[in-house]
Amino acid sequence: MSLRVNDFTINIATANGTGSQSANLVILHSMYEMGVPVSGKNLFPSNISGLPTWFIIRASDAGYQAPGDYTHIQVMMNKDTWDKDLNNLEPGTVIIYNQDVKLPVERDDCIVLPMPMTKMARSISPKMAKLMANMYYVGALAHLLNIDQKAIEAAVSSQFGGKEKAIEWNLQAIAEGKTYAEENWNYESGFRVESREKDPNTFLIEGNEATALGAIYGGINMLSWYPITPSSSVAESIISWIPKLREAEDGGATCAVVQAEDELAAAGMVLGAGWAGGRGMTCTSGPGISLMSEFIGLFYFSEVPGVIWDVNRVGPSTGLPTRTQQGDLSMLYEASHGDTQHIVLIPGTVDECFEFGWRAFDFADRFQTMVFGFGDLDLGMNRWSTAGFEYPDIPMDRGKVIRSQEQMDAISNYGRYRDVDGDGIAYRTLPGSGLDPILYRGTGHDEDGIYSEDPQVYHATMERLKRKIDGARDLLPAPIIREEKVKTLGIIFYGSMENTIVEIDDMLEETGLSVSTCRVRALPYHSDVESFIEEHDRTIVLEINRDGQLFGILRKELPVQLLTKLQSVAYSDGLPPRARIYADMILETMKEVEL
Amino acid sequence: MSILKLNVIDLEKSEYKGGKSSLCPGCGHDQISNVIIQAAWENGIKPEEIAKMSGIGCSSKTPAYFLGKSHGFNTVHGRMPSVTTGANMVNKDLSFLAVSGDGDTASIGIGQFIHAIRRNLDMVYIIENNGVYGLTKGQYSATVEKGSKKKKGAMNEQAPIDLCAMAVNLGCSFVARSFSGSKKQLTALLRAAMSHKGMAIIDVISPCVTFANNDESYKSYNYVKANDEVLHIVDYIAHFSPIEAVEVPAGEFKEIKLFDGSTLRLETVDNEHDPTDPVEALRAIHNADKEGRHVTGLLFYNPGKKTATETLGLTKTPLMALSESELRPSEQSLLELNNGFRTN
Repeated sequence: MSLRVNDFTINIATANGTGSQSANLVILHSMYEMGVPVSGKNLFPSNISGLPTWFIIRASDAGYQAPGDYTHIQVMMNKDTWDKDLNNLEPGTVIIYNQDVKLPVERDDCIVLPMPMTKMARSISPKMAKLMANMYYVGALAHLLNIDQKAIEAAVSSQFGGKEKAIEWNLQAIAEGKTYAEENWNYESGFRVESREKDPNTFLIEGNEATALGAIYGGINMLSWYPITPSSSVAESIISWIPKLREAEDGGATCAVVQAEDELAAAGMVLGAGWAGGRGMTCTSGPGISLMSEFIGLFYFSEVPGVIWDVNRVGPSTGLPTRTQQGDLSMLYEASHGDTQHIVLIPGTVDECFEFGWRAFDFADRFQTMVFGFGDLDLGMNRWSTAGFEYPDIPMDRGKVIRSQEQMDAISNYGRYRDVDGDGIAYRTLPGSGLDPILYRGTGHDEDGIYSEDPQVYHATMERLKRKIDGARDLLPAPIIREEKVKTLGIIFYGSMENTIVEIDDMLEETGLSVSTCRVRALPYHSDVESFIEEHDRTIVLEINRDGQLFGILRKELPVQLLTKLQSVAYSDGLPPRARIYADMILETMKEVEL
Repeated sequence: MSILKLNVIDLEKSEYKGGKSSLCPGCGHDQISNVIIQAAWENGIKPEEIAKMSGIGCSSKTPAYFLGKSHGFNTVHGRMPSVTTGANMVNKDLSFLAVSGDGDTASIGIGQFIHAIRRNLDMVYIIENNGVYGLTKGQYSATVEKGSKKKKGAMNEQAPIDLCAMAVNLGCSFVARSFSGSKKQLTALLRAAMSHKGMAIIDVISPCVTFANNDESYKSYNYVKANDEVLHIVDYIAHFSPIEAVEVPAGEFKEIKLFDGSTLRLETVDNEHDPTDPVEALRAIHNADKEGRHVTGLLFYNPGKKTATETLGLTKTPLMALSESELRPSEQSLLELNNGFRTN
């Protein structure tokens, strides 16, 4: 059997709340420390303690970050999923299991490696045995994969930062697990990790924390939020980082944080902050957006800046609260009743979470409208690699705000909603300024902000709003295009699919297809998206949802002659995308087209 | 040529007026708008320092009819408090003057009303309370009394939500009830509310002349006139006018010092009312309610509570006025942040 080096997937089955997350992160970080290209996915339940959790670690010299289509090593700790976990395995899988669960492992076609983990943990600390047992599979894997001892020590000391006793016990447990495996398992491992040169600048971080830091560098000064998985850690990161990064001369807080009574109130607070000249933001998930919808229409129609981050979980309704999906996109783009259209920023990497985190405020102020940041649980709550965040390359854009009488006098025929520059964006004044006040309203209004039901006035307002948002297209982040010379197949995708696209691309190219990709990073979509479709024989829009939501948006807005070139491939089961599923669906779609 | 009267900051009253009302002729809300104009002018507040806030409904349309030189926001139904909260967070120097109705507050907006009180948002919150939904043509609201009957349709059988009792229970720092027909009382209470720091609620019974001004309606003009249980005679003495200039009443009275240094004088009518005692306030509400009467005056006063922005310990400069260098951390800080992640 040939040795698989830095190319395998480990699945670790545990129960929520048993401390397994620490053990899993030690494995992930020790491999990362060695320079092994590695990714970790936490598939956790909507529960605090007891329900099943899986952690998937993928090592891949090819740089593949998806969970992988095949489990090479299965760690079994959870009696509740024992049989299901076992039945899912392909022949030849290496199974490491905790003997003290006292359940049979009847798989003659697999390599079965038992260890009495709980019993051994008891010898270190009877009280902590349940938690410590997890560290024995770390030792087992360290033995099996030949993980560098120094890397393990670094990962443990970072995981239990400063707690000497915890570091000592956990290292002891790992060492005992390793020795047990060496002495009792008569198995020549077919898997290895090998050190690779690691860029010393890189580190792992969750998308939500990157978004939070971006918001802070974007000058957020009002955060309202209502707790909801998987977005809460955006707010919690802002709360914990702000005092460390920003300091007022008088020691006062530079950002007001309000935990709102519900998502409606959170959106209302962002609206109030934007109206009064602040940089307000909230973060939520799909159910929150549903509740905020009425206010989102008011942002659009009264033209008030604000930022809402949606970290997508699985819908509809309460759905699968701790699983991932791109199911909110069409809702975001046209949220609220009547004709609306909203700017949506779609990061695909943690670097972009940071960058769009600060840019969102500039776009909101520039276009005087509500701007969505759109991520998902996979990007937001899993750890991804970055070489470090880049400082904003432009000063803050506060948009068209008149701050003095002189500025006001320079504008002839001022009206709050009069398009004097021809770009659809009117000038505004702030409460407290004493400059040409109006009563903002969600009712019909004329160019001076006065109530109006006049048909021509209403029509002109709606046309201007359309022109305004349309004007944002090519000023928003452009798509990232990776183009082949032979333009047979183009794939349009977005967001966290970035982590699987390379592997899908490789699978397709193995069949002889020439594949270009285009990652859309904002709505309304950039004109480059249209040229990409034009240039390719066929384009498939690839999405993590059921209905092909971006496909729907493109179909509505593209010139009709391009529509015949466009197909949708959409699939969602709550898990992060696995390359094989999508590659097969794309190949199937290509076949249907040819028939 | 007449000599125009100026207030303490040399402005004419016309500077505080707004557009023409589109409400029904005789609507109680228009009387309240006039009192708002009067109170803001008499208190000498700069119009640009006021932010007018409202939700949706007949009452919420009125900010178009007063203080035309102030910015304002006619928001969505029942959600005005949250918009006010956001604006207050980034500009705590604005004086927020909000108008809502009984539908806007007691039904669709009850949650935001409660949480604004809980946070002690620094604002004046006027409820123009007529017991019916006017704009949708006269359905009962949640503040209508059991046994009350509007012009058309059946008698109301459900117990009302008393917004003042609710506010007292939540520890609201200033709770008053008045009547749109009692111009003197309402003006004094509103001037006092404007001098107060923290949440000030004035529940103003304001008859709906179109749908519920019949005598069987407990919120009709005649009914309120006949059943107004006045707690005390209220006199407002501004901090800029010498207190000696105001005639001392013959009977018993007590004085309340307001945040801006002004005084509210409460003259005892029948029994002395202690507005600092929440139990006494609730008793007054319940006793009047039992007899089908409306108790008016300053029900509860609980000063000294931290406001929402004080609780957060915000910097002295309003957040919206912070400079870019105060809001965006330095480039050096990001280098250190990146390095911190690398070595962790």
